[in-house]
Amino acid sequence: MRIRAERDDLADVLGRAARAVSNRSPLPILQGVLCEVEGGRLRVTGTDGEITIRTSLQVEALEEGRTLVPAKLVAEAVRKLPAGAVAMSSAGGQVEITGNGPRFRLRELNVDDYPATAPKATSGGITMDGDLLTRALNQVGVAASGDDARPTLTGVLFEADEEGSRLVATDGYRLAVRDLAGAENFPTTLVPNRALKEVSRTIGDSKITVDLGEREATFGSERGSMTVRVIEGAFPPYRHFFGSFPNRLTVPREALLDAVGRASLVAEDHIPVRLNLHQGGVELSITRQEVGEETEHIEGDFQGEDMTIAFNVRYLTDGVAAVVGDDVVIHATDPVKPGLVTGTDEEGFRYLLMPVRV
Amino acid sequence: MRIVVAQCTVDYEGRLAAHLPMATRLVMVKVDGCVAVHADGGAYKPLNWMNAPNHLLDEGDRWVVTNLKGERLTITFGAVHFDTRVDLGEDPGLRKDGVEAELQRLLAETPGVIEPGLSLIRREHPTPVGPVDLLCRATDGSTVAVEVKRRGEIDGVEQLTRYLDFLARDRRLAAVRGILCAQAIKPQARQLAEDRGIGWVEVDYDLLRGLDSPVLRLF
Repeated sequence: MRIRAERDDLADVLGRAARAVSNRSPLPILQGVLCEVEGGRLRVTGTDGEITIRTSLQVEALEEGRTLVPAKLVAEAVRKLPAGAVAMSSAGGQVEITGNGPRFRLRELNVDDYPATAPKATSGGITMDGDLLTRALNQVGVAASGDDARPTLTGVLFEADEEGSRLVATDGYRLAVRDLAGAENFPTTLVPNRALKEVSRTIGDSKITVDLGEREATFGSERGSMTVRVIEGAFPPYRHFFGSFPNRLTVPREALLDAVGRASLVAEDHIPVRLNLHQGGVELSITRQEVGEETEHIEGDFQGEDMTIAFNVRYLTDGVAAVVGDDVVIHATDPVKPGLVTGTDEEGFRYLLMPVRV
Repeated sequence: MRIVVAQCTVDYEGRLAAHLPMATRLVMVKVDGCVAVHADGGAYKPLNWMNAPNHLLDEGDRWVVTNLKGERLTITFGAVHFDTRVDLGEDPGLRKDGVEAELQRLLAETPGVIEPGLSLIRREHPTPVGPVDLLCRATDGSTVAVEVKRRGEIDGVEQLTRYLDFLARDRRLAAVRGILCAQAIKPQARQLAEDRGIGWVEVDYDLLRGLDSPVLRLF
């Protein structure tokens, strides 16, 4: 295999594919990225056995072939070469990378040991606005769990809704829903959030194709593709939580975020911020016995009966930050029932969170 | 156990350098040699400490504690308010709450958590290779052997497989199937269980115990 390409382009395709490679992978061979040259294109594949990222680049192909090189090292080596043309070739168990002076000779990994990663035949998938998808994934992803003890909560649910498609995630304490009105219906699939975080970083583009299969989900764009094994198991039923909320507070989003940020200086993760909702706005207060307290008032519009409700500071911050627009609405029923955070400018995003009993 | 309450500064050199300015603190030297410096707050974590094995050089108003990793903890004393030694005797050890046994008891009381309609026949049902944690009856009349674990791993599936093998030879029982029940079940154990036609269920111990936690949950 022998190619020439621009440093930035080559570093980009290697770096993005290398994001799938994990240092904790049980198979040493998966520390490598597979580079294949055929028909004037370099195809780069990285995988940790669960997530596979494929990227490709038009290159000057001097000799077709394939090689397997340590992922992080090759990506960094190319990135740190001087700007301009870079040559990469493999021979005699070594991969040589040169560009404007410096020369790396890296030990090749045994390419024959690399697992088959050829893309599976797909059913075509659903092509949608890439920015809309990645923004929606970021909005719901904050609510997904990172605890592998409950695998079904570590994913984002893709499902069809009456008016389009929907993304849902929960960690058991909060739940985020993002409706994608007008989007073609997703088949019900649970996709690991760990992989979805990589969508915008690795293949983000103006158009993204989503192909949800029974065993794998593939996200593709002109920049490459990411395939991940889907999560088996049932997502917990959640629709019954969205009943009516008699109390409703509307406040400026930035003001609330700033206030909760100040409160978090006093709080530790387990100390909630109290929201005293009343006519004219909300009073936030937080007390940590060994440190002190903080209180402040934010003016806003409140409809309902005065009440106090307390939330985990981080969960509240995540929900308010995910809302798009100038104002945020907090809906509440009573101090022990879920609260709901929504925006006023954008339809379709709802963030439900359980209060903390105080 | 030596317990000292005194004004002191503490300097640590090792993986990093850390300095605690002069203040009144509790210094403990445990019988195994561990040294811990505590402030008047926090439930468990010392401000600084040195695990055993180490060497404590007592120079009166200055202790220098070193270990083989090259770490050094220097405690320089000012006014000493309290300095005593107490023999705590032999430690009987921590009595844990016996999660697995407790989980079994709780599930025996509410077998419907494992599978709707499940009713308990008996706990610790004997087989030639050991007792099955819970023997239950399903709504369709079948017999269900439930193995309860804190963490569901392949060993648990193997154990249940052995029980099922022997239970299947008992003509008094109807068709027998198995369920592995645990707080968390590893993917390999699930795979093996499914491959052998064994069911698996994860249960929330805290929910079963009905703890009155201030942290409320959706699921």
